[in-house]
Amino acid sequence: MSLAAINEQLLRAIGVGVAVVRASDLTFVFHNQPFAEWFGTPGPGATLPEVMEALDPEELGQQQGEGLRYSAELQIKLKRRTLVFAVNISSADQPEEQLLVVECQNITRMRELESMIDSYSTMVERNTRELEREKERVERLLLNLMPRSVYEEFKTFGVVTPQLYPQISVVMLDFVDFTDFAARTDPTITLGELNDIFTAFDRIVEQYGCERIKTIGDAYLAVAGMPEPTPDHATAVAHCATRFLRYLERRNESHQHTWRARIGLGTGAAVGSVVGIQKYVYDVFGPAVNLASRLQVFAKPMHIVAPETMKAALSEEFHVSDIGPTEIKGLGAVDLVSVGSELSAPQAARRY
Amino acid sequence: MPQTLYEKYGGFKTISRIVMTFYEMALDSDQIGDYFADVDMPRLIDHQTKFISSLMGGPASFSDDRLEAVHRALGISHADFDEMAALLSEALADHGVGATDVGLVLEAIEGKRGIIVARSAA
Repeated sequence: MSLAAINEQLLRAIGVGVAVVRASDLTFVFHNQPFAEWFGTPGPGATLPEVMEALDPEELGQQQGEGLRYSAELQIKLKRRTLVFAVNISSADQPEEQLLVVECQNITRMRELESMIDSYSTMVERNTRELEREKERVERLLLNLMPRSVYEEFKTFGVVTPQLYPQISVVMLDFVDFTDFAARTDPTITLGELNDIFTAFDRIVEQYGCERIKTIGDAYLAVAGMPEPTPDHATAVAHCATRFLRYLERRNESHQHTWRARIGLGTGAAVGSVVGIQKYVYDVFGPAVNLASRLQVFAKPMHIVAPETMKAALSEEFHVSDIGPTEIKGLGAVDLVSVGSELSAPQAARRY
Repeated sequence: MPQTLYEKYGGFKTISRIVMTFYEMALDSDQIGDYFADVDMPRLIDHQTKFISSLMGGPASFSDDRLEAVHRALGISHADFDEMAALLSEALADHGVGATDVGLVLEAIEGKRGIIVARSAA
């Protein structure tokens, strides 16, 4: 078999559509089987643009003049299905006459798969975004239950190691006659008011770098000095305490229901940890917490009571007056002080 | 969480083959092929990919409203719907989905009959 015969055999057998046309009038010299299947068998005297209707004859003409290769992507419908072809036309100079070789690769499947990948990635990306949002929602929820640093530890290790903080301060607030109030008021209103007030407290607490630990019914507990240690934990809780009272005073002026609170401060050591496996609660335990909760009981309505040990730290920024030794259940005699308004506060309300 | 058919049969790598087979079958079908003839190829593939993924419990959300909107104007008959279900079950079986699971998918599709078939074709 001669080389030319082999070449012709090859052109007929390959899966690429091949046609050879005369450059002069674009009539066919040769076409193979795949070409005929896709574009139909060219009749006698048919030209390339007649057979491949999607081909732009003008564009082809331009390219031809410059003797360049022509490449295009063509779409045809064959029995409802969209077929996509990459068409290459190049000129082949023969001694007798100039010919154009038309090569058509079927890239339908490639384009179909590309479409499918697009479709799939859209689905997956949307799902990923939804998951991301869900994760943020869970994270926000967990951050309401525990301080960020504790949450980070929890996320990384799956557990939180109880940690002892030797020097922290605690503010504990409890409303006067709350039980009475709750008994004679619609629970929805009680809760609405409480929610309102505690939300305001949360903002105050955040402003002074403290951490709200929990509310138990009408009691509100916040700490300073944990999980991030700060040297001014005592003044931080005292600032919160005075602001809590000032907020309530202001609120009482314009609201129907009057809220009065007692506040106890405490200082000392405490342990912070997540308690529970299924129902996580970040909680604090220790003498500082006990102290604040006991002293709160001793406070007159709308007053703040602190142990004498905090006096030195507080007297620089607050009006502090001595109450004297008081017998406290479980703690024995404790020297107490009353914490008044901030020294620098412009509108110093007289509380004692 | 119970495993979805989508996960059971190897996720998208199987689904993509099922979609491709179904796409070809649907276009070849003389009963329903004409409905697809004038639809843009990428759009048709997108539609079928999402439809089959969502039937199998994959990461697609194909709301009934959307499904209805797409088919409303087409006037699809019960015979068309049956042909589609038959082709899909064939495509599923071709890619190794077990008979019980094919049954589950057909059940899921049956649930959509009311919104795909034109109301006048009852």
